Amino acid sequence: MKKRKKIILALIIFIALLWICSAGIQIVARNVKGAINERSRVFASVSSEPEKTIDLLVAGDSESYTSISPMDLWNQTGIAAYDCGQPAQRIQETYYVLKTAFQKQSPKLVLLETNTMFRNPGFLTNLQLSLTEPLNYHFPIFRYHNAWKALFDGPGGLKSGYMGFEIRDKTVSYEGDENYMKETKDKTEIPEVTRIYMDKIRNLCRKNGADLLLFSAPSPVNYNYKKYNALKEYAEEADLPYVDLNLRYRDIGIDWKKDSYDKGDHLNIDGARKVTEFMAKYLTDNYQLPDRREDGRWKEWNELAESYFKELEQCVIL
Amino acid sequence: MAYQSLVYGFVFLPLCLLVYQIAPQKWRRRVLLAFSYLFFWLLSGKLIVYLLGTTVFVHCIGIWLEWLRSEQKTALASAERCEKKRIKGIYQKKSRRVLAFGVLLLIGILAYLKYYNFFAGNLNGIFGSALPFTLEEKNILMPVGISFYTLQAIGYLADVYWGKIRAEEKLENTALFLAFFPQIMEGPICRYSDTAGTLYSGKSLEIDNLTEGYIRIFWGLFKKKVIADRLAIGVDAIFGNYTSYSGAMTVFAAAAYTVQLYMEFSGCMDIIIGSGQLFGVKLPENFRQPFAAQSAAEFWRRWHITLGTWFKTYIFYPVSMSGPVKKWNQYGRKHFGKYITMLGTSAMALFPVWLCNGLWHGARWSYIFYGMYYFTLILLGIAAEPLRDRVLELLHIGEKSAGLKVVRIAKTWLIIFTGELFFRADGLRAGIYMFRSIFRNFDLNSLFDGRLLELGMSRADLIAIAAGCVVVAIVGAVKERGVHVREALGRKPVFIRWSIYYALLLAVIVIAAYGDGYQAVDMIYAGF
Repeated sequence: MKKRKKIILALIIFIALLWICSAGIQIVARNVKGAINERSRVFASVSSEPEKTIDLLVAGDSESYTSISPMDLWNQTGIAAYDCGQPAQRIQETYYVLKTAFQKQSPKLVLLETNTMFRNPGFLTNLQLSLTEPLNYHFPIFRYHNAWKALFDGPGGLKSGYMGFEIRDKTVSYEGDENYMKETKDKTEIPEVTRIYMDKIRNLCRKNGADLLLFSAPSPVNYNYKKYNALKEYAEEADLPYVDLNLRYRDIGIDWKKDSYDKGDHLNIDGARKVTEFMAKYLTDNYQLPDRREDGRWKEWNELAESYFKELEQCVIL
Repeated sequence: MAYQSLVYGFVFLPLCLLVYQIAPQKWRRRVLLAFSYLFFWLLSGKLIVYLLGTTVFVHCIGIWLEWLRSEQKTALASAERCEKKRIKGIYQKKSRRVLAFGVLLLIGILAYLKYYNFFAGNLNGIFGSALPFTLEEKNILMPVGISFYTLQAIGYLADVYWGKIRAEEKLENTALFLAFFPQIMEGPICRYSDTAGTLYSGKSLEIDNLTEGYIRIFWGLFKKKVIADRLAIGVDAIFGNYTSYSGAMTVFAAAAYTVQLYMEFSGCMDIIIGSGQLFGVKLPENFRQPFAAQSAAEFWRRWHITLGTWFKTYIFYPVSMSGPVKKWNQYGRKHFGKYITMLGTSAMALFPVWLCNGLWHGARWSYIFYGMYYFTLILLGIAAEPLRDRVLELLHIGEKSAGLKVVRIAKTWLIIFTGELFFRADGLRAGIYMFRSIFRNFDLNSLFDGRLLELGMSRADLIAIAAGCVVVAIVGAVKERGVHVREALGRKPVFIRWSIYYALLLAVIVIAAYGDGYQAVDMIYAGF
């Protein structure tokens, strides 16, 4: 019994140590974001934004942060948006990146790009992610543990970041079938793990007073009508609004010869700006998101937007 | 699900511990067996049939051998004295045939799965169109750990045959002995007499075992994740593009790979032995400070000990005692004298050991070369022994001289690094190219002009590797002096002891190479 008590005490001390280290590393991570690796950097970046300054969170895999440009959205509507997508983001990560963002932010709307909903890395990886992500969330020492390397390797340089968005000024045309949304009754299956985590995401948004909007960015490589059917059915079941921009890419003005970054997988800056313009109108028509452009607390956003447009002027799309 | 994965440490192991503890004592070995098969199935899927088939087969052969022994006993009990020798001979012959059948089938399966493509490729390459047929290479899937559990199975049958152990009567026990999940992927290659006792005891979990087991697991993780997985990045970069690097970088790569292999394999052993200890199962040690060895032969008595012991027990001794070697001994003594006879005997017994050692690692000429490299060096060591003794005597250098020890250790390191260079190289040709580059284009400056930092390892990574190696070296030096580290720690005041434990845990969590920016590195020996 005495031994058992000692073990429990040892565990408590260990957890306390983890907690102290986590608190310390979070402060370090915010200051050396460049030294944090790409997938974890989004957590550090969104956490380092001043409290309650983000009204719209964009989540998902690379389709999300290559299609919505927060600076264009800001310029057109004054909506303070942040791209917190990750390359090949898995649904467990989507949930925890939102949960991390909600710690300091009170967004009115979460815009979830749907490609992540079809990712299913298999039973063991799902199990691993379902373990590591809560562990990383509760004890950020696990997520940012590599921050110590900045001590020897330097803080690292950040690429020009515009609230999670980067200017991608390359064009590699999509040469495939432009009529890729061929109508069918077939459906792609949404993995069970996605359904479980989507429930958690919905609850999280509800608890934090944020609306959830599903959207599919234009991408002939990733989307087809079977996915549309599955998402439409899911959205109806879950009572969520859903916009598939693949059905409307002609209205948006996407030209697959000019607006593709990498053969139809992602959009380049021109494509992203067109999608953002379309979504800006959609959001103002359907949601009451505040215009912060005149508010002094968002002064930095105006400055950032200025440098964004300056950089755009210098961009020559190759 | 590798041993260093979170799923293993945080789901599989705790779940197994929980079910094991809840189960009544007589059911506990079945719990271990069920989890062992689940573990194997998660790794190899339907290839589990190989393990199941081997288990049933080995169990039956063991029972058959045991039955022959009891039959022999009965026959001898009622036989006349003059008849006894004949009866013994008959049963020995029968037993030998049964053992040969068992061993040949086990080796046959292993040989087919592991060496068929190597054999077919070489046969086609050597004879080409001269052969009336072509052996087509096949896409053969190999179950994980087959090289380990096959040797363990053969050892078990040989021990039953020699009467060192009684054959296991319960199939579930044989199954657990062959499939116990902590050791199925990378060994250690256990002898039945060493592990059966604790494996089948079904003892309740004990807090001391749990604490020590988990500390050992974390020590293994420290070696693997802080040092080995970081070194893997640089080592892969050089070996993967060896023509672009200088001789100095090749020397660095050879040394770095040796350290990586040691940290990786001995680290995994710590995790494995620690996992066994959680259940009170005592698994044999596989390493004993190999870098303190003063000769190639001693190195192999300290490195992958259970494989060396297996080869010594089941190949070296039987060959040494075989008819041809005995005949050579008689003939050699008469015609060539003691020294040449001893050399011939050593060569005859060592050659199959080192050929098998090379081949065991995989079907590649570079592995065979690796085996022959050690065969030659160890034989040369035996041959040079009288001369070396004479020189030391003339120079008045004592066997225990510190200077001599340093020279010997340095020489052994040189031997080990060279061996590992060929072992790791992508084929024998690549190995030879890399070895020659040491003499043709050394360029010492390449180690200090920043090119090391272009291998994918940052300055911080190199510092972590160096600091990690220093810690492991200090622990190794303490152990080499005969101190049992965990027992010594156990005698320290609680505050100091637990501060060291926490430092180890936090070092693994903070410094280890995991998460973003690091690829999970497969366990090297699981691939053999």
